[in-house]
Amino acid sequence: MSFAPRPAVQPWARVNTGRRIQILLASIVPILLTAAVILVTGLDRNVALMGVFLPLQLIAASAVGFRAFGRRGVGDAALIVFVVFFATFVLVLLASVVFSLVSQGAQAMSWGFFTQNNRYVSNTTSLEYGGVGHAIIGTLLVVGLTTVVTVPLGIAMAIYLTQSQSKTKGIIRTLTQAISGLPSVVAGLFILSIAITLDWQKSGFLGSMALLPLMLPTIARVAEEALRLVPVDLRYAALALGAPNYRAFFQVILPAAKSGLVTAILLGVARIIGETAPLILTVPINNGTSWNLFSGEIMTLPAYVYNYLGSAFVPSQNRAWGGALVLMILVAILFGATRILSRSKSLKSKPTKEKASK
Amino acid sequence: MNSLAKASTLSSENISVWFGQRQVLSDVNLVFPANKVTALIGPSGCGKSTFIRTLNRMHELIPGAGLAGSVYLDGKDIYAEDFDAVSVRIKIGMVFQKPNPFPTMTIRDNILSGLRLSGRKIENGDEVVETSLRRASIWNEVKDRLNDQAISLSGGQQQRLCIARSLAMNPQVLLMDEPCSALDPGSTRRIEETIQELSSSMTIVIVTHNMQQAQRVSDQTAFFLADDNTPGGVVEFGATEQIFNGPIDQRTNDYVNGHFG
Repeated sequence: MSFAPRPAVQPWARVNTGRRIQILLASIVPILLTAAVILVTGLDRNVALMGVFLPLQLIAASAVGFRAFGRRGVGDAALIVFVVFFATFVLVLLASVVFSLVSQGAQAMSWGFFTQNNRYVSNTTSLEYGGVGHAIIGTLLVVGLTTVVTVPLGIAMAIYLTQSQSKTKGIIRTLTQAISGLPSVVAGLFILSIAITLDWQKSGFLGSMALLPLMLPTIARVAEEALRLVPVDLRYAALALGAPNYRAFFQVILPAAKSGLVTAILLGVARIIGETAPLILTVPINNGTSWNLFSGEIMTLPAYVYNYLGSAFVPSQNRAWGGALVLMILVAILFGATRILSRSKSLKSKPTKEKASK
Repeated sequence: MNSLAKASTLSSENISVWFGQRQVLSDVNLVFPANKVTALIGPSGCGKSTFIRTLNRMHELIPGAGLAGSVYLDGKDIYAEDFDAVSVRIKIGMVFQKPNPFPTMTIRDNILSGLRLSGRKIENGDEVVETSLRRASIWNEVKDRLNDQAISLSGGQQQRLCIARSLAMNPQVLLMDEPCSALDPGSTRRIEETIQELSSSMTIVIVTHNMQQAQRVSDQTAFFLADDNTPGGVVEFGATEQIFNGPIDQRTNDYVNGHFG
């Protein structure tokens, strides 16, 4: 057998000019017709989008599909229209949230905004002064403490739910899922009531404890899925080699589920990092930098945003937007860093293709 | 390499197995003499794999499993209270139907995984790795890539790696549950050669659906059968030569000649 030059065009990718034009028309005509309807009748744009454009687009696409492939073409075309339409819809929603956050928060952005605290800032102080440095520190501390406490708990729960054959598993799983529907303000009130009963002062520590029940179900459930995905073959292989259960778990199952467990932790952090209500109830805020989680005031980013959002003064409103943007950037950095860290490890473990083909 | 452990005689006495309330095996009495290869044959669903898993206490890992009878390793009941499952499995190794190397480990680490998993100290790791891989006749193929991931190997190589992984534990008995069912003829032949060589140092029990394979590798053969709605059991047990060429039971005769099953 000899090598042949690669053909220029893949047979399945040949361009059918006639159909291309049909698809182009089917995409443009509904838009133009909808625009015409809006201009003539003065119909509300949002109503027209759903009530006029979507049906027209469906009809046009179905017609093209029917001409090309008959009845099965109609199904394909309808699916494509629905998927593209609603995916675009959601993307636009998401993009507009990000856009408003970036455009409003951009005014506050400067190096100082990330590093300074708000100690000498009043409602009318220019944005050049003050920042969210103290809130970043507070958020990292509060969320960090919650994570340190919750991750072992959540993963232990996931281990119990996947590895044990106990009969109470079902109840525990149901309860965990029920907790995931707990309103965050209730978690805050619960911790607050404990603090009042025991006569404890409000502190960052209480905030961490209020975030715990919110983070736990997320980590437990995602980690459970990750552990469940590890083939039972591997566990059997380890046990058949004479491994006690705990070694089989720590040396074989846990490494195999690592990237899933990292995802579980990330989703858990994402779940709580923007939580506002529990922190407002349990953590006293201030404008200076504090590293002490266990007594006194400490600022967090969600509380910072909440604190300034309702202000009647423009600089304060800008600070709120800036704080929200910083929160988003913080999450993006956390996620990016963790992804890169866990990817570089898994890359190493991928099969080396060149050697494998020898 | 430490001196090889002596092969052991394994025997089952009145082994019956239940899953939930359903009995799937009834009164299996077999003897696996030291240094002999025993093939377990029979149609799917007759309990061969279930039986082989009772021999190194892997059976009890399945939820709802039940067992009656005893398994003796050199006269000691492996289900006795003073004999725990972990030490049974260290002495009696197992190779599964589907190759299952540890995907997060390199070839080298896979071989040493048994020692690590059972909490032993690894003193002469390189030697253990080379000896085990040589015994599974895969050394020449992987000696230059011991630090590659195990899943980069082909299916047949993975299975021989799994055999090598079991051999690193230096077992007295090796159980093989259809080790070649997912492999091509070339890999199958190499594994059969490996089995022949290994039988000088250990007792081997192999489940197989391949009649020719049973004839090629085994000294004695047990034919399992489960009639409709009855638990499975051994129909006939004897020298391989006799089972294939002059079976006493008509059903054995039909099966080995391909008339049913």
